[in-house]
Amino acid sequence: MPAEEMGKVTDRMRFVFAVSSLIFLAVLAISPFKDYRREWKQYKRSYLRFAQGRPDTKRLTADYSPDIDQIWLPGMNLVDRCTTCHQGITQASLADKSVPEPFRVHPPIPHNVREWGCTICHRGQGPATEVAEAHESTLAWEQPVLPTHFIQASCGTCHQSDLPQTPQLARGRQLLAELNCQGCHKMQGIDRPAMLGPDLSSIGTKVSREWIYKWLKEPRTIVDKDGNVTVNGYETQEEPRMPKFRLTETEIRALTAFLSVQKARPFAPYKISPAVVATWSKNPELISQGELRFRQMFCSTCHSLAVTRAGETKLIGGDIAPELTKVGSKVNPGWLIAWLRDPQAYLPHTRMPRYGWSDEDLYKVTQYVTTKLVDSDLLSGVPKLDAPADAEIQLGHRLFAEKGCASCHVIEGLNPQKDFGPDLSALGGKNASELEFGTAKIPHNLVSYIQAKLEDPVSVNPAARMPQYTWNQADLDAVTTALLSMKGAPATSALQNLVVPRKEASFRATGSFAEVYERYKCYTCHKFNGYGGDLAPDLTYEGSRAQRQWLVEFLKSPQTLRPTLILRMPQFNMSDKDAATLADYLSMVMQHPAVNPAGVDAKQFTPAMATLGKQLYEVKYQCQSCHTIGGSGGYVGPNLNNAGGWLTPAWIEAWLKNPQALVPDSMEPRRNFTDEEIKALTAYLMTLRAGIQPQKTASNTRALAWGHGAGK
Amino acid sequence: MATSFQSALQNLRETKVWKSIFRRGPANTNRTRSLAIFGNLFLHWMPVKVREKSLRMRASYYLGSISFILFIVLFVTGIFLMFYYHPAAPNAYRDMKDLQFVVSNGVFLRNLHRLAAHLMVFAVFWHMFHVFYRGGYKPPHEFNWVVGVLLLLVTLFLSYTGYLLPWDQLAFWAVTVGTNIISAMPFIGHKVRFLLLGGNIVGENALLRFYVLHIVILPLFAFVLIGIHFWRVQKDGGLTVKPKDEDGKE
Repeated sequence: MPAEEMGKVTDRMRFVFAVSSLIFLAVLAISPFKDYRREWKQYKRSYLRFAQGRPDTKRLTADYSPDIDQIWLPGMNLVDRCTTCHQGITQASLADKSVPEPFRVHPPIPHNVREWGCTICHRGQGPATEVAEAHESTLAWEQPVLPTHFIQASCGTCHQSDLPQTPQLARGRQLLAELNCQGCHKMQGIDRPAMLGPDLSSIGTKVSREWIYKWLKEPRTIVDKDGNVTVNGYETQEEPRMPKFRLTETEIRALTAFLSVQKARPFAPYKISPAVVATWSKNPELISQGELRFRQMFCSTCHSLAVTRAGETKLIGGDIAPELTKVGSKVNPGWLIAWLRDPQAYLPHTRMPRYGWSDEDLYKVTQYVTTKLVDSDLLSGVPKLDAPADAEIQLGHRLFAEKGCASCHVIEGLNPQKDFGPDLSALGGKNASELEFGTAKIPHNLVSYIQAKLEDPVSVNPAARMPQYTWNQADLDAVTTALLSMKGAPATSALQNLVVPRKEASFRATGSFAEVYERYKCYTCHKFNGYGGDLAPDLTYEGSRAQRQWLVEFLKSPQTLRPTLILRMPQFNMSDKDAATLADYLSMVMQHPAVNPAGVDAKQFTPAMATLGKQLYEVKYQCQSCHTIGGSGGYVGPNLNNAGGWLTPAWIEAWLKNPQALVPDSMEPRRNFTDEEIKALTAYLMTLRAGIQPQKTASNTRALAWGHGAGK
Repeated sequence: MATSFQSALQNLRETKVWKSIFRRGPANTNRTRSLAIFGNLFLHWMPVKVREKSLRMRASYYLGSISFILFIVLFVTGIFLMFYYHPAAPNAYRDMKDLQFVVSNGVFLRNLHRLAAHLMVFAVFWHMFHVFYRGGYKPPHEFNWVVGVLLLLVTLFLSYTGYLLPWDQLAFWAVTVGTNIISAMPFIGHKVRFLLLGGNIVGENALLRFYVLHIVILPLFAFVLIGIHFWRVQKDGGLTVKPKDEDGKE
């Protein structure tokens, strides 16, 4: 531009100015336009259109405003704007599947959405008003919405005790306890089972080095019909708790060497009376008699055996104790006899009860176990192992701690490494960026990480020391749920106040009862004041329920139980003294505060009352549809053949008034009997006597929870 | 029409109110016009005469003006942002999110402030290089060069203090690293760091201090220095450096 034209405004300059002004204005207009088109405003408008097309428009739009809706809970540090788009969340009429999301109503839950907000359970970014920001993991937000499949995890974050509505979470917690994840990891709210893995202090006296080798290589012994070593797919929840470790040949040899010399408490060999051996050893009935005794003693209440029928292998029996299908090929026969006679001498804390054995039974059962429960191919893949060398033993000793064996198995004088695995008590709240994904080709989010790590620990971390577990999908999801529920200490005191702690059940047996109670391990199956297993009836109020004499007889001979149950009380061959001790304690101590056994005098019942009661039982209330008397009636409730010899009249009266007051989850319907009817029915039931006929059986045959169950 | 407007203006300038504000009557002679300029706080920055050459693009690329306009943009958008911002944890980060999620045109507002800040640092540096390579630091411009250097430092401090305010990971670690560098100063390093952070870690105190520095102290310095800078440009004889100055002769 020549100098003389400087300062003069030309048409070209005007044009450039005009065009650039227009462009500038247009650029400025982009932001208000984008603001108008924001996602949440579109959802607002589309909800209005949707509501106007429905008959109940007025109710649906009563609270409508074109602005952002939010649930603000300052104490919980929570601002949830989810309801800006999820506008029908409290509209009961929008439950139908045809209602498009995000307008559908929330399924019914015990909490009021307005009082709790959304992200406290669902996670995600509450203050966000964009779909991706609210639900997904983005550049500046790493807590995406929790998949609904694992939503029970959120219940568990506050409810540290199990809820009936959260079976997946409860199963996950049970597995964490059962598999002894606590052995290596820190976790809150999971019980460490009293007996972790078996105590190996004397393992050298029990099994051979070859068997240990086989077990370390593949800690499963049952083969399915395709020849695969597996237990999943059997009709049982049981899974050998021992996971598979990734061990080299040298490591396995070293560990077997070390373990095979562990003989801290050598058993005292027991010699079965030669007379018994002489009588039975030639008897062709020996093995079948042994099997019969095995069954009659109800070993399968706790132990299972793999049974193949019609080409299908199933584990039959309880899952409290190890399955015994091939135990004859595993244990030293001399050890077996010593063990059966006195299990606590080998393992002081075992849950195996101490039976009273006759030499005859002992001989029959051990012969059965060592000849029938065997597999000659079990050790076929094991190389020849010589007597362990010192170097091998030394290495095995070191490996036992380094590989984490000591975290589950006790060997006297050998301490587990502290904090062997990472602390998992806040795992459920971790951001994806805090996790190590390695080279794994999985989505980078917490759920995928947990599942990949559980399924194959090496996939996310080649140096992982965590062993290999075998999961079915349901259990994998359950454990994932339980882990997701552990979000560490609550961030605010308001959240801290929401935590519903676990009820700490405690029961201390005392005096001579304690000794018998420990010997028979009653708590493995029965609950006492909330402490113990849930396989068998809760005995907390047994003293109010049952007559002392009945208890004595039952304990001595619990053979006649409900035929539909597989898991039954074992035949302990209990002495009179032990049975009396237990019965005395139960009837003195395990009392319901509202039931006084002496409060109702049986002498007041007259034959007339009993006749009336019988009429009420059979005609008016038709109790026989659930209860059996004299061979006829239903099987839902307990058999009442011997009600008069079994139950206390006080219990019957209190029970008839309100069964749920005594047993909250009882199925017995609460009928509004008059006082007279109650007296009459009690009088009638007290007339029922049928020798020693124990009736009340396990009302709850759920698998026993290891975690809540046994131990100290 | 034009005459009546001019006579109305003339009459306005005769009024007492006008005179009390501008301290002058009508500017009808060169002297009174000059006095009107000198007597006005804003106008006295302006040169009485401008060379056409100095208005050319190549003379300055308008870098000083661009920096100043960006500063004004930052000032205005900064005031708007202050309406939505709490210098406290965890509110600060939440306020950022609310600007994104709730405030109308909030993203535009915040991005305008952020982009203008980046551009201003860039423009100020370019301005400095340009002046340096044109020899603008030579007499009689030495003092204004020093003022310019101070302005560069103020700009950088503004940028750095503003960086902490979103209270996100980037901010936290940038300031952690930056203040650790400060603590490497011999003898007084740790004291200076403590003074700056109001503690030993980048916490809520640091956020408050950086906020006060960012919105009060540093902008005040900037305004004063910008005033001096502009004024001295004119006093030192305009912004173009004459060819003969480049030889070092006066």
